[in-house]
Amino acid sequence: MDDIIQEQVEQLVDYIMKWCLWQFNSRAWDREDQNEGILMKTMQILCDEPVERETPSDKCYWVEAVILARDFKDNYPWLSKMEKNEIKILMKGLKEQIDYLTITGSLNKELTNPVY
Amino acid sequence: MPYHTFKCSECIPERKKHVVVKGEDEDLTSCLPLGYLKTIPGTISERGCAFCGAKHVIGTPMKDVIHLCHGPVGCTYDTWQTKRYISDNDNFQFKYTFASDMKEKHIVFGAENLLKQNIIEAFKAFPEIKRMTIYQTCAPALIGDDIDAVAKEVMDTMPDVDIFVCNSPGFAGPSQSGGHHLINIAWINQKVGTFEPKITSDYVINYVGEYNIQGDQEVMVDYFKRMGIQVLSTFTGNGSYDELRGMHLAQLNVLECARSAEYICNELRKRYGTPRLDIDGFGFKPLSESLLKVGLFFGLEKEAQAIIDEETARWKPELDWYARRLKGVKVCLWPGGSKLWHWAHVIHEEMGVDVVSLYTKFGHQGDMEKGIARCEAGALAIDDPNELEGIEAMKKLKPDVIFTGVRPGEVAKKLRVQYINAHAYHNGPYKGFEGWVRFARDIYNAVYSPIHQLSGLDISKDEIDTDKGFMTRQMISDVKIDKEAAIVSGERQYTGDYDCVSKLRDKKYPKIEKQSLSIE
Repeated sequence: MDDIIQEQVEQLVDYIMKWCLWQFNSRAWDREDQNEGILMKTMQILCDEPVERETPSDKCYWVEAVILARDFKDNYPWLSKMEKNEIKILMKGLKEQIDYLTITGSLNKELTNPVY
Repeated sequence: MPYHTFKCSECIPERKKHVVVKGEDEDLTSCLPLGYLKTIPGTISERGCAFCGAKHVIGTPMKDVIHLCHGPVGCTYDTWQTKRYISDNDNFQFKYTFASDMKEKHIVFGAENLLKQNIIEAFKAFPEIKRMTIYQTCAPALIGDDIDAVAKEVMDTMPDVDIFVCNSPGFAGPSQSGGHHLINIAWINQKVGTFEPKITSDYVINYVGEYNIQGDQEVMVDYFKRMGIQVLSTFTGNGSYDELRGMHLAQLNVLECARSAEYICNELRKRYGTPRLDIDGFGFKPLSESLLKVGLFFGLEKEAQAIIDEETARWKPELDWYARRLKGVKVCLWPGGSKLWHWAHVIHEEMGVDVVSLYTKFGHQGDMEKGIARCEAGALAIDDPNELEGIEAMKKLKPDVIFTGVRPGEVAKKLRVQYINAHAYHNGPYKGFEGWVRFARDIYNAVYSPIHQLSGLDISKDEIDTDKGFMTRQMISDVKIDKEAAIVSGERQYTGDYDCVSKLRDKKYPKIEKQSLSIE
């Protein structure tokens, strides 16, 4: 990932960490599902791809993704100038960083508790 | 790890890992205190017990219920009315508190008979109330009283009553948070699925983790009703016992306080497939996006947007009036749990105040993750503080105001630091667009109170100007603002009613055309 994309990923990470709650569900497996479901759908919305929303949980991921995609576009004008393949690289980097901060690098000792 | 050691806690070295400073380059992989652990011996914690967490945070806001505490009278009396969770049935649950009043002889001979007499007596005293919750306390838990058996016996002989038993004695967790967990799980295990409330809309939610502090729930339910949504139950503020038995019938769980009520949302998701959507009811932007999210879920985005536009136009100029005068005010954000992250970013973004410290009495590491992620760099984050640490932090950070509970609030006053009651509020509700303005007004009134300034004078030795009148708030606050700019932009002080909640109770809601059923 080049420096510009890296910087852009950091901006999006900062936005999510400040304004969203979905990445902080209390267990690691739950965070994996949330991060994957919401960020995948956000990428699809930003790339004008069809988005699955048949099941109740998919619908919730989609709702979060719609709001996030709008906020990204409103706050980061450089996003609208990006090609779709660039957006995909950006969102892949974003997902990796959010996973790192909230799951793999997290210091939260309750993440691996087997029950809620 | 950027740990901070308080001087007063150098004799308790374990405390070090409970305090961090968020540095410019820190993130959650390097900056997170320990949390939700047993309080370290020697530190005088501000926490409550698991009984109090179960009864007074979660259980008692249910409005149409006799809440009976099985134990010595002090357990219920000394924790009674700690929060202002009002209700639309003349505050029945708030006005009365019930205890079985265990004494020493009951410890020796058992208190099950005493409890049974008390249950029957309470139902007879309030014949219109047919629902009861019974809360276990330490004493009967230790002697092994079987509350479930007593409750069943009474329900067998009084078939029109229903009783919920909450086994969460004070020692059942490191803090009140242990009690939140236990009552969540007990409710879904014992009661959810045992009653079917009437469904009156195509769009049905449970509103979870909302306790109607000074009317918060009623304000939010008004928005949902205006969108055409039925709030089947609220867990638990202003909530009805039987409606909460029907939680399994909702299409969506809208979760406000994840700290106290994520457990039941997670279980409803697992057992009934009902999804969980976390929202923020505080602040214009988070609230607007929350309403939009719920609207999007049901295809009611237009209805949500109409509410946002109307409310923003009405209240934003008033928020801006206060924000202009609160810019740069230093705040210690020291609530119990969820407000640490509900407020950490949005009071800075929308009111301009600077959060110099955040703490949580009973939050878990997950709450600190949210709070630290949202606050600005430089903030001191403290888990399970003691009073001396609070005093040391206030002397070091010199905040203008702290948002906290009554006990630490009174300590702050002695240091001449103003405080806003973050648990029960001062002049709430604080949720909703109007509520957010009321919060800003309370902060303004606290920070710029002339009484606060006068309290710093010692008439026995300080020179007092006798040729000058008292300062007003605005004389103090407006020194630093551009008045002309404020007049041009139409900003004004709060113009709402003293009571902005009662009028919602008689409100009629229009029929939403897209629905197959009418909404009352």
